[in-house]
Amino acid sequence: MNSSLLAIEFLVVVLGLGILLADLWIPSGARRGLAYAAATGLLLVLTLHGGALAPGDDTAFGGMFLVDALANYFKTLFIVATIAVLLISSGYADRLDGYGEYVALTLFALAGMLLAASANDFILMFVALELVTVTFYVLVSFQRRRQSSLEAGVKYLIFGALAAAFMVYGIALIFGSANTTNFYEIASRQAELGKSPVFVIGLLLTLVGLGFKISAFPFQMWTPDVYQGAPVPTTAFLATGSKAAGFVLLLRLAYSVVPEVMARWSHLLLGFAMATMLYGSFAALAQRSVKRLMGYSSIANAGYLLLGIGATNVTGSTAILYFLSGYVFTTLAAFAVISRVTVQDDNDDISVFAGLGNRSPLLAAAMTLALVSLAGIPPLAGFFGKFYLFKAALLQVPTSPLFLVAVLIACVSVVLSLYYYFNIIRVMYWPAQDAVDRPVTVPMAVGISLAACLAGILVVGIFPSGVIGLAHEAVAGLGTPAPEMHVQAHHAAAH
Amino acid sequence: MEPTHLPATNFQDLAWAILLLPLVSALAITLGLRRNRELTTTLSLSAVGIGFGLSVWLFFLYGVSGERLAATPLSWMSVGSLSAHLGLTVDPLSTLMLMVVTGVSFLVHVYSTGYMEDDPEYPRYFASLGFFTFSMLGIVLSDNFVQTFIFWELVGVSSYLLVGFWYEKPAAADAAKKAFLTNRIGDFGFLLGILIVWAATGTVSFDAMAAKLKAEPGILGAAASLAGVLIFLGAVGKSAQLPLHVWLPDAMEGPTPVSALIHAATMVAAGVYMLCRVYFLLDLPAAWPAALSFLGSISALDVIAWTGALTSLVAGVIAIQQDDIKRILAYSTLSQLGYMVMAVGCGGPDAAMFHLTTHACFKALLFLGAGAVIYACHHEQNIWKMGGLAKRMPVTFWTFLLATAALCGLPVLSSGFYSKDAIFAAALASNRPVLFGIGVLVVGLTTLYMSRLVIIAFLGESRSEAASHAADPGRNMTLPLLILAVPSVSLGWLPVGAYFKSAIFPGAVTHSAEGFSDVFFEPFNHSPLGAFLGFGLMAFGLSVAFATYWGAAMDPMPGHLPRLSRALRNRLYFDEIYAATLIPLHDAVAALADWVDRWIVQGLFVRGISGGMDLFGRALRLVQTGNLQTYAFLFVAGVALVVLLALK
Repeated sequence: MNSSLLAIEFLVVVLGLGILLADLWIPSGARRGLAYAAATGLLLVLTLHGGALAPGDDTAFGGMFLVDALANYFKTLFIVATIAVLLISSGYADRLDGYGEYVALTLFALAGMLLAASANDFILMFVALELVTVTFYVLVSFQRRRQSSLEAGVKYLIFGALAAAFMVYGIALIFGSANTTNFYEIASRQAELGKSPVFVIGLLLTLVGLGFKISAFPFQMWTPDVYQGAPVPTTAFLATGSKAAGFVLLLRLAYSVVPEVMARWSHLLLGFAMATMLYGSFAALAQRSVKRLMGYSSIANAGYLLLGIGATNVTGSTAILYFLSGYVFTTLAAFAVISRVTVQDDNDDISVFAGLGNRSPLLAAAMTLALVSLAGIPPLAGFFGKFYLFKAALLQVPTSPLFLVAVLIACVSVVLSLYYYFNIIRVMYWPAQDAVDRPVTVPMAVGISLAACLAGILVVGIFPSGVIGLAHEAVAGLGTPAPEMHVQAHHAAAH
Repeated sequence: MEPTHLPATNFQDLAWAILLLPLVSALAITLGLRRNRELTTTLSLSAVGIGFGLSVWLFFLYGVSGERLAATPLSWMSVGSLSAHLGLTVDPLSTLMLMVVTGVSFLVHVYSTGYMEDDPEYPRYFASLGFFTFSMLGIVLSDNFVQTFIFWELVGVSSYLLVGFWYEKPAAADAAKKAFLTNRIGDFGFLLGILIVWAATGTVSFDAMAAKLKAEPGILGAAASLAGVLIFLGAVGKSAQLPLHVWLPDAMEGPTPVSALIHAATMVAAGVYMLCRVYFLLDLPAAWPAALSFLGSISALDVIAWTGALTSLVAGVIAIQQDDIKRILAYSTLSQLGYMVMAVGCGGPDAAMFHLTTHACFKALLFLGAGAVIYACHHEQNIWKMGGLAKRMPVTFWTFLLATAALCGLPVLSSGFYSKDAIFAAALASNRPVLFGIGVLVVGLTTLYMSRLVIIAFLGESRSEAASHAADPGRNMTLPLLILAVPSVSLGWLPVGAYFKSAIFPGAVTHSAEGFSDVFFEPFNHSPLGAFLGFGLMAFGLSVAFATYWGAAMDPMPGHLPRLSRALRNRLYFDEIYAATLIPLHDAVAALADWVDRWIVQGLFVRGISGGMDLFGRALRLVQTGNLQTYAFLFVAGVALVVLLALK
């Protein structure tokens, strides 16, 4: 068994344990340092991931664990997002009792995401997702003294349990019908398995679990409440890392494991994609809570991404990767700003943004850039992300006119989103009432992560071809499991 | 000559650095340093100063050798058959222009540290100046039409910010708006022209376009002249040619150093520069689409040449009866821009660029000198309230006089003499004697209004309290004057004209001057008719000015020629004609559009749709009760729905 493939995951877990240990000796005033240490450690892991420890395509643990270009792409994305989340949370440390644990849990959640990116088996997929979800139960309710945080935690717990129950039931059905949970083996027998109603129901229930993670209609109910109640850094992590973890698995299932079965459901997927976009955009229109608004925006964005899943072509999978890369930077930049603006009195009503243009031109400019990118205005990352997703869907129009309808609905959703994103911009620069003229402080660490995210938005947006190239390489292997690796997996299982 | 494609080498980094430095300084000032004057000054001065140093380096590395370098362009986006990229051109044309832009911009920055010293919005001023410099450099370095157009608009925006810098003054705010809107009219034509050329050649890159045109001269077909004229419309707006010239005199409401930078040396020159950059598109035989076939054999160059000549003449005439020192200079700028455009139309883009370069130096000097005068006279701009400044402001006076000599084209001792003569030669060479006549006549007009300005403002006795206490400003304002005086006098002695000729027409045989008499008296040998006629008219203008204005307490012209004077003072009623014709038409269209917008678009569509959307949004919020049982029920119902739909 080639356990060196797990070096990255191993390092992250060790880093988390180290932080937990160090927490015992660090005085409570200096706990911020733990976040810096963790971020530095992750930066190191990232370099190793790109350099010395960069593994070639291989499997481990009897074919359960797979390293390929797609997994590596997402791992980079997860680590980058976690670094930014840690830096944002360092500015929030005073509000989080036991901050050392917060940092460690964030790292464990990251470990779960990394495993999810490499999952090549329904069992590992379930375990990895549960590692993420269970950690998030704690991260969401971390502000124990705030009722809304606790409420959000309980809601997330119950919904997570519900989703996990459906998923594990689904996996049991899959195992019952296929006698295996390995992705490669199921992929090679998908034509035969697709005819078994037991397998199909099992697959559907598994997808329900993933639908919960990415907040797709009709499993999106929890999103606004949890986003609003959770501490801002947790919300940022939910919106980026947790959502991307759902998408990497969805991508693998749809493009690599059971593409033939999924192709039957393309109309269904499109239907849910349209419902998801419209739900997110419509419900966001009347929002005054900025965190809740970001929750609805996150739902709408999941809808756009589902278009790419439904399109089942290379353009679609490439577009998903590109979109998520830009989305991670954009969302983190927005949450970095939100964390600074709302930190003083834990109020995220849109009125606290009033006059931000004068109080902190830097934060206002950063927020504007992020919102403009989310709204999909060229030449920022959000524009090209949507552009490629729509293009992927339009390429499928010859197979079914529903794709055209879906793109038109997506355009309607984009137009609606302009309204609520620009509303925040309007409030920042042209406040209706006299704003509180209280300056907003930006600690260095938050500033660094903000600057990095802004640079990401601009680079991904202005030079899309570079990221598109990387994404294209990452998805090139999807749908064609290498035969010798398949054999290897068999051998390993036999031993 | 085919451009040499090099990998990312230092010339590319240099060009990027020159382009981006002012932007970085502008961003830093806007975002963080709004309250720190010292740092603002250091940052913006060093950004442009380093940019100038690098431009000089780039010029001697690549400009002088005449190499054409095209940076490997960064692909930006590609949609269908349109692929846009970001690319910088480093060639003799752009490297010299880079020096002009960064050089004048640097001196204006230095000068502004004195002129704007007491302004509370000092950092905003420097941020806007930096942003403008960035946009202008973007036009100079661009290697394709799309990029040019983007920077073209950015220049428009930054000029809007600078003209309207004192936005609390209604006149300044109106002038900024007027400049922007007038430019937009020209830009609309420019965009159409770009689209026509792109549709015909399938590329927006200048190099690729030139190559295609060379391989297949008839590629533009019947649209050739139309495309040329439409592209020229962009220059008509930006370089303030008839009939879109009305914004430039009003734009003088901006701070005077801004007028020196934008409305004399750089932005207004962008139009001429662009025409020279795409000269290969303009120099095509006349061909019109069927609907415009009555235009017959009039080519795009004919339109350009006549527009330039008429602008030059009309502006020169109007300038004679202006009393505001900056407005006189503004009309003089219009007149000189007319010369340049006429030169392009007469097949002499090299002469146009030559005059652009010399004009940038001496006109910037004139504006900065005017700024010094205005500053010394406590923001008095009427020349009739000055007088006697020569004694009290010697540095300003002598540099101003040298620049005036250059503007009038004083033989040998001024750069303007050489560049203007190149234009006259081009007009004669292209067999357009009428245009040549207009050009020479304008020399007389130029000398008349400039001598009038110098006599009234600088000579004689002080006519106001402020003028009698005037003094030269501080060193940071006089130093730029002295530095600019050097090229204003001497630039013509260098082979700048020949440089541009080989830059625009690679491989052309250039007349190279050798020996003392040939270098200094070249125009008398090269095109004697223009040189002698120009000299004669200059002497005539000078004597008329002295006879009329020497010792005059007020302008005698309204008394002698009341009608003409009134017409000139009202700027030949251009604004009034527009107010009487275009504006009512525009208002009528606007009223109709307003009605449609208000009742149909707003009322029916927006109110209706947005009301519906809003209602729907609120209804959705009702679902989102926060009640966990409801959520869980909906979740399970959702699962049932999914399974049902999927198995159907």
